[in-house]
Amino acid sequence: MPSNRVLAILLLCWPAGAQTPAAPAAPAPASSTAATYVGSETCQPCHEDIYNALLKSPHNLINKEKWRNFATRACEACHGPGSKHADSADASAIRNPAKLSADESSQICLKCHLNQPTHIGRIESSHAKNEVACVACHSVHAHGPNGLVPRKMAAINELCAGCHTEVWAQFQRPYKHRLPEGAMSCVDCHNPHGSIFAVNAQAYAANETGCFRCHGNLRGPFTFEHAPVRLEGCGACHEPHGSANPRMLIRAEVRYLCLECHANLPNTAAAVKNPPALGGVPPAFHDLYSPQFQNCTVCHMKIHGSYVNQELLR
Amino acid sequence: MKFLLALLAGFPLLAQQAAQPTPDASASSPTPTGAEWFTGSIDLGYRFTSIGGDNDVYRSVVNLGQGPRLLGLDFTIADPKKRLFDRLNVRAYNWGGDPYNTVHVDASKQGIYDFNFEYRDLAYFNLLPSFADPLLGTGVVLDEDSYFARRRMSDFNLDLLPGHHVIPFLAYGRDSGEGTGISTFYSDINQYPIADHTFDKTDNYRGGVRLEFNRFHVTLEQGGTTLREDQDAYNSTTNYGNNLQPYFGQNLYLSSLDQAYGISGSSIYTKALFTANPVPWLDVSGQFLYSEPKTNVNYTQFDTGNLVLQSAILFYTGEQALGFAAGKQPHTTGNIGFQLRPFKRVRILESWMTDRMHTSAAGLFTDMILQPVSSADTILTPLSSLLALNYNQEQVDILVDVTRKLTLHGGYRYTWGDAQTGDALVAGPGQESSEMRQQTGIGGANFRATQKLSANVDFEGTASDHAYFRTSLYNYQRMRARARYQVNNALSLQAVFTLLRNENPLTGINYSFLSRQNSLSASWTPSKKITVLGEYTRSTLRSDIGYLEPEFLSPETSLYRDNAHSATSLVDVALPGYAKLTPRLAFGGSLFISSGSRPTTFYQPMVRLTVPLYKNIAWKSEYRYYGYGELFYLYEGFRAHLLQTGLTISR
Repeated sequence: MPSNRVLAILLLCWPAGAQTPAAPAAPAPASSTAATYVGSETCQPCHEDIYNALLKSPHNLINKEKWRNFATRACEACHGPGSKHADSADASAIRNPAKLSADESSQICLKCHLNQPTHIGRIESSHAKNEVACVACHSVHAHGPNGLVPRKMAAINELCAGCHTEVWAQFQRPYKHRLPEGAMSCVDCHNPHGSIFAVNAQAYAANETGCFRCHGNLRGPFTFEHAPVRLEGCGACHEPHGSANPRMLIRAEVRYLCLECHANLPNTAAAVKNPPALGGVPPAFHDLYSPQFQNCTVCHMKIHGSYVNQELLR
Repeated sequence: MKFLLALLAGFPLLAQQAAQPTPDASASSPTPTGAEWFTGSIDLGYRFTSIGGDNDVYRSVVNLGQGPRLLGLDFTIADPKKRLFDRLNVRAYNWGGDPYNTVHVDASKQGIYDFNFEYRDLAYFNLLPSFADPLLGTGVVLDEDSYFARRRMSDFNLDLLPGHHVIPFLAYGRDSGEGTGISTFYSDINQYPIADHTFDKTDNYRGGVRLEFNRFHVTLEQGGTTLREDQDAYNSTTNYGNNLQPYFGQNLYLSSLDQAYGISGSSIYTKALFTANPVPWLDVSGQFLYSEPKTNVNYTQFDTGNLVLQSAILFYTGEQALGFAAGKQPHTTGNIGFQLRPFKRVRILESWMTDRMHTSAAGLFTDMILQPVSSADTILTPLSSLLALNYNQEQVDILVDVTRKLTLHGGYRYTWGDAQTGDALVAGPGQESSEMRQQTGIGGANFRATQKLSANVDFEGTASDHAYFRTSLYNYQRMRARARYQVNNALSLQAVFTLLRNENPLTGINYSFLSRQNSLSASWTPSKKITVLGEYTRSTLRSDIGYLEPEFLSPETSLYRDNAHSATSLVDVALPGYAKLTPRLAFGGSLFISSGSRPTTFYQPMVRLTVPLYKNIAWKSEYRYYGYGELFYLYEGFRAHLLQTGLTISR
């Protein structure tokens, strides 16, 4: 791992070279004299709709928060000091987050929201790495029962599908989780703010896979585990977004799904360098031409794990 | 049906006297007035269904029934005096017999509490003869592997807000399921379809405290779960099972069966999370997660019939089995990461993660074989097993804002781990072990040409020298590209392309996997009267992998193909109004057509008409068609017409 060592040294040295840190958010436009705070009520006459909406939104809390020094300055908490804009009515004299880059606008939000549990997985989040700004999903000035982001499951799904169209297409397949019906939403399984688990997956009971939130009967621990469930997750056999195959399986016939893994001869290790070692061959009485053996789960019905039988038969 | 169509056609005529359009939701006075303290809507209706084809498959795929329904209820109470709450919001959908019932309640009082409750009741029905009916080809349908179950999930969360910095919280959740179905009782040589009943419930209790300050945050949470699960399977008639061929001249059958599982479990878990930005150019976050689920199992089984023990070619008339086992699974996860901003245009993200899980279980299984002419044989089988997993990951990403319009990122991820699995707690021939090592290069770009045009691309390529399974990701490339262009205020377009290619060239495996998805979507709103949304996706999937045919260990290739067209659309049109009312017509739906290993068609077109009748009352009608067909299993197709009509009352 020489590259890692170089990187570690580089990382340790960075702070020394970073004595002039970047401002976390883009500053308001520079000019000869700095703009000052004027208070939200100064904004009201010209931006009455937004002002009134803000008063009813969760962000109205900013107007009352003294500990962050934004009390009575909810508008300027994000837009920066507004005295010059108020004097000149010049749009360029105030920060407009809508015109900033995704990272710059998100930094404005993170001034207050960074140190909250919601953002515990932000560093690992693919949304953050792909420059998806907070305002791509959250409407900062919105008001009403839904707060800043849709709460109805159908509305959440519509929002996510706006970018993830290819995923939403999978939900048009016959066997899928019930998202199009509005019974589930994308955030039941994925954390849009980021997660340390793959595909921004939600976790259940600290660090167990989020699938167990609804499928608690498959959680175990079983006396005899089916290893892929634990090592690769439910996605090893199921396509959770939707499939043309019953039970959302990734193969049309169960026998192929099983045999693709269960095809390692005991002597494989000697014959092949670095073999995938898990998954042996079924005994020879499995005559695949007989319908009796074409769906493995007819007999191996405890396929997710069994409490009493090593072959997952009961 | 005809009466309904006539009713539908006639309703707009009846609506000539109706009143004003939906109230404008734009902002008005910030203080709730008397008229505003309660806002919401209720959507009541009746659904008619007409189903042709296989009703069981319809229930497995759609499962919407006929009858009166509470289709939606959504209201908000804003208490002007802010007594028990500032705002209470309730949402409920699809009650009155639909398979997906949901309720959500949010209540909050500023500076005091934030409460939410969620309840879902989902029905699952699955009866697909093509899935698991070994005798289907002979015309015998045994409905094996079918079930009808309901899962109910409730969650209560209460955050107390005594101050800005210290936030205690409490939560309770319950997940339960109950259902009946047809399972299989396995006995050597033959398997017997039997009725079963399952019940399970998991209770989750948790509480903790969040400490939130300007420069750091810590969350400490302690939780626990309890599990109870009962499974019963029974048979009381002569059951000839899946194998009708005589075995050594004797017919095998099951006369009676009583099989029961009793499972109890518990778990404690601990979460510690922190985020901090000690200096403006450094953000740090980390978490420690620990859980330790445990289960205890009692198993009993008593069966009679003409059965056989294959290993000894021993025919017997009865069997009594008792088993008990206990298992536990300590599971620890740790993570730390930071984001460094050494320069204005450069961000460095680095994170480490480790995940360690160790499942071990032990027990005893006693099997007593009862024979007609000799004494009972008792077989004692100790049960023990192990599954251990160590997973580690390190990743570094560097993001550089090359210009204000272009951000490039690149990085490297190294994942490694090992797993042990086997039927014994001590190392030996009963155990298998494997390793996993992957080195991944990451790259991407984000280009914002203008506010109207943006594009981004992500790529990662991985080389492995160990993997757990033959089908695991090995040498793979993954890519996602997306472009969005807003042509004008009315029209915006988006294109998405994703690719996953995985190769495992090892001898005997020769795994080759390629999945591609191309998606185009458009949104066109030329005026307030018309909205057109459309999306089309073409997906292709090809998988070839070698395997061994078990009977003679002859090498074969498993081929899987799935080439599909998916499209969704919605056209929403405001019809000519009357008396300041605007009826709306929406139509569209979705289609799915696939070819390959399981050629399938699934059509879901719909038409919806909304006619305001009077102030805050609208009449809504919706027609939806579900058409499902499979080329290989024609008997599983269905065609369903659903007509839903009702009133929406809003305030």
